[in-house]
Amino acid sequence: MERRTFMEIIGAGSLILPPLACGLRRPVAAGPTFLDGIATTCELCPNKCSVLAVVKDGHITKLNPNPDNPKSRGMLCARGNAAVQQVYDPDRLKQPLIRVGARGEGKWRPASWDEAFDYTAKKLSDIKAKHGPEGTLWSSTEGFQEIFFKNLGQAFGSPNVMRHPSLCLASVNLAYSMTYGTVPSFDLLNADYVIMAGANRFESIITPDTMDLIGGTMERKAKLIYLDPRFTVTASKADEWYPIKPGTDMAFILAMMNVIIAENRYDKAFLESETVGFEQLVEHVKPYTPEWAEGETEIPAQDIARIARAFADAAPRAVFYAGRRSSWYQNDFQMRRAQALLNAIVGNWDRQGGMVPNQKIAKGEFLVLPWDDPKAARVDEVEKAFPLASAKDGVYLPLRENLLKGQPYPVKGWMIYKQDPLHALPDQGKTMKMLDQMEFVGVIDIAMSDTAWYADVVFPESHYLERTDPIEVMPGIWPAAVYRQQVVKPIHDTKPCLEIAQGLAKRLGLSDYFDYTIEQWVEAEAKELPIQNGLEHMKQRGVVAVSQPKYGTTRNPVHRFLTKSGKIELFSDRLKEAGHDPLPVYTPPVQPSGGRFRLVLGRKATITHATLTNLPWLHEHNPENDLWIHPEPAAKLNIQSGDLLEVSSSVGQVRIKARVTQEIRPDCVFMLHGFGKKSPWLKRVHNVGAADSVLLETAWDKVSGNAAMHETFVKVVKA
Amino acid sequence: MATKSVKTAQRYAMVIDAKKCINCKACVVACKAENQVPLGVFRNWIDEETSGEYPHLRMSFDPEQCHHCADPSCVRVCPTGASWQREDGIVLVNEDDCIGCKYCIIACPYDARYHNPETHTVGKCTFCSHRVDRGELPACVETCPSKVRVFGDLNDPKSQLHQLLATRRYEVKNPQTGNGPQLYYLL
Ligand code: SF4
Ligand code: SF4
Ligand code: SF4
Repeated sequence: MERRTFMEIIGAGSLILPPLACGLRRPVAAGPTFLDGIATTCELCPNKCSVLAVVKDGHITKLNPNPDNPKSRGMLCARGNAAVQQVYDPDRLKQPLIRVGARGEGKWRPASWDEAFDYTAKKLSDIKAKHGPEGTLWSSTEGFQEIFFKNLGQAFGSPNVMRHPSLCLASVNLAYSMTYGTVPSFDLLNADYVIMAGANRFESIITPDTMDLIGGTMERKAKLIYLDPRFTVTASKADEWYPIKPGTDMAFILAMMNVIIAENRYDKAFLESETVGFEQLVEHVKPYTPEWAEGETEIPAQDIARIARAFADAAPRAVFYAGRRSSWYQNDFQMRRAQALLNAIVGNWDRQGGMVPNQKIAKGEFLVLPWDDPKAARVDEVEKAFPLASAKDGVYLPLRENLLKGQPYPVKGWMIYKQDPLHALPDQGKTMKMLDQMEFVGVIDIAMSDTAWYADVVFPESHYLERTDPIEVMPGIWPAAVYRQQVVKPIHDTKPCLEIAQGLAKRLGLSDYFDYTIEQWVEAEAKELPIQNGLEHMKQRGVVAVSQPKYGTTRNPVHRFLTKSGKIELFSDRLKEAGHDPLPVYTPPVQPSGGRFRLVLGRKATITHATLTNLPWLHEHNPENDLWIHPEPAAKLNIQSGDLLEVSSSVGQVRIKARVTQEIRPDCVFMLHGFGKKSPWLKRVHNVGAADSVLLETAWDKVSGNAAMHETFVKVVKA
Repeated sequence: MATKSVKTAQRYAMVIDAKKCINCKACVVACKAENQVPLGVFRNWIDEETSGEYPHLRMSFDPEQCHHCADPSCVRVCPTGASWQREDGIVLVNEDDCIGCKYCIIACPYDARYHNPETHTVGKCTFCSHRVDRGELPACVETCPSKVRVFGDLNDPKSQLHQLLATRRYEVKNPQTGNGPQLYYLL
């Protein structure tokens, strides 16, 4: 029987019309009208939801969801709604600032743009003269204008352009790429059986997965099995929640494969034609029985076996969901590889309700004058230490280690765009040392982040609602291209990243590489959109989408996967050659002892990125973070909710209030991210609560170099 | 159904599928933004309930706001006529006439009203009547990732709201108040 598709679920019969199927922006039951909102794209997280901004008398009064975007599914989350408060925040950065006191003292001198550009260009040139262009580091977080910042670093000649994936999803992306040659999406809208491990999709919103999971589990009654040391909102909606022993997910997955293979529940035909290494996998998983896994995971063997059978029976409409932020453990890559193999053996590849390769939307490209390749190798030595990892993204924590040692060469200048390394990286003390040893630090941001507070020059960027950005393509089962256009003129003396890059480029003799306007850039991109009058369309509607998913396009004998063998690689020769396990081998994680707890991290729908905690409408729901601790250990330590605690790891110590709750395993503690700020300009969270980054120790995944942020044990005592 | 007092063509109401609520607060923040609700007070909110013993825990969320009662006690007690009800059922407060006596806050069985510390008048959910009058959905309804709330006209048999009430089991909160609440919670 044909299953319901996206169109049927959110289309006919509901209040939202399918994307592009109607000429009305926000049709409602009471009688559709046309609203003159300005179409743009949210920037408060990487989901890039489409927004219609309502402007009255030059003032943004409301941001509404734009239903044209099939990925955002007609929603705008709490953070997206609160974005207006960033624009009108009286404490935001309003003009360039140059430090006059000691670093972190907070003495600033307002400067003109010319002055800030001259000053910065001089510092960067001095460093270049002394240490070469590789003496500078350019780090940034995902954003539509990130490209201009990266280009400036590269045109300057630095190999050290550092992106954010190695603090986030580098391990999961690499694991699926090594197996399938691509990173697929999961068709949660149509899956009948979903297993999620630590991916708290109902609090940590990923579009369209969060909404599709609601549709799947609550409207179609799909099964959701959820593993997490915390009882999250996702746990509360799951059919079964297992507070798995942290760090043992791989044991659970290997045991599932053991059952599925032993009981011949795998997709034989698919494995024969599309994969390599099944024979080795059969042997490999033999010792990993459910009884063995019970000892590791604390999940009963019969439950593991039952889930394995149900999963295989539901396939291909069954997925073990990959997760997004995968910076968890030092074996994270191998754990995600195990997931990828489990998905492969039940043959859910490229099937409705399974794991689906992404579609893209074509767009044009603005061709810039190419610069020379950097002469020096990267300071993080990624090619040498992590040959399988993405060299262009870099590995952040190994970079910090090298940099602190001055190895293989000194790096003395740090330019930062849209990132707060003091919170984004584990071990704040170490990041502080890294800042200290810099001769120059320049930050481009919209607010005075903690890192900006310790910088030498702060460049105020225009808010996303005040800028026009490049067109961005979002690959997926429902791919879309989105456009961010200026909604209001900058209300302060701020500039978009491109103009900041151009200002610096001019003084660094690099103007030739930046000889264009954002309008020219966007025009070139819009030309090749799969729609007539692409630019006009984008200005009107903000999004181009292909509304129908395509399943099975790679399920044909001529299809070659982008792997060495051209097949799905269960056994990986490339891993073997690189000195890693070609099949995921389980090693029990070290467990906390001596009364210590494992610190686990996570997000909630109102608090994800560290920069959001200061927004009044979000802060109202999260005035202060606290430490979740189970009643059992709390009783032993004589801790009650509200007590002030002293929490310490091998690298730092914080004071934070206790929340005694059953919603966490007794051997773990948890705290929200983004509190305990040092910058007084973030006044709601300045010295309020505690920063997780102070406690987190430095560790990384061995294959991808991704940060391992769930490997820190802490001691908890009453303060 | 408490629709007997409806004499006009339209009777606005809301269906709430609370099981789909993930407590993400998008509706709460959207309401603040749409209606310039001051910090610290709320026109809509999510009631949370956790029960059970680890690891057998349960958690539920209930979106709440004014129930736009068919026979609203808030309107009955208002001494100035500032609290009033439109023909389509939407209960409003006319700020100009509100003297801030707070009788209505006490009279409301659903705790739906607050004293606005800035204007010293009483505020509450308006079903975003200004949006509804333009043919749009209330802000909370539109922004929700789960589409927990369904807003519409009880008297329109073609509306999704009408169809849900015709085909699904539901309850209203505290029916014994006699207020005739118009928020229908699906079971
Ligand atoms: S999920 Fe929320 S914050 Fe992220 S882009 Fe969408 S509306 Fe913005
Ligand atoms: S927006 Fe929807 S899911 Fe989120 S809290 Fe409100 S009702 Fe619940
Ligand atoms: S819920 Fe309260 S405020 Fe709303 S109409 Fe009923 S009595 Fe009045």
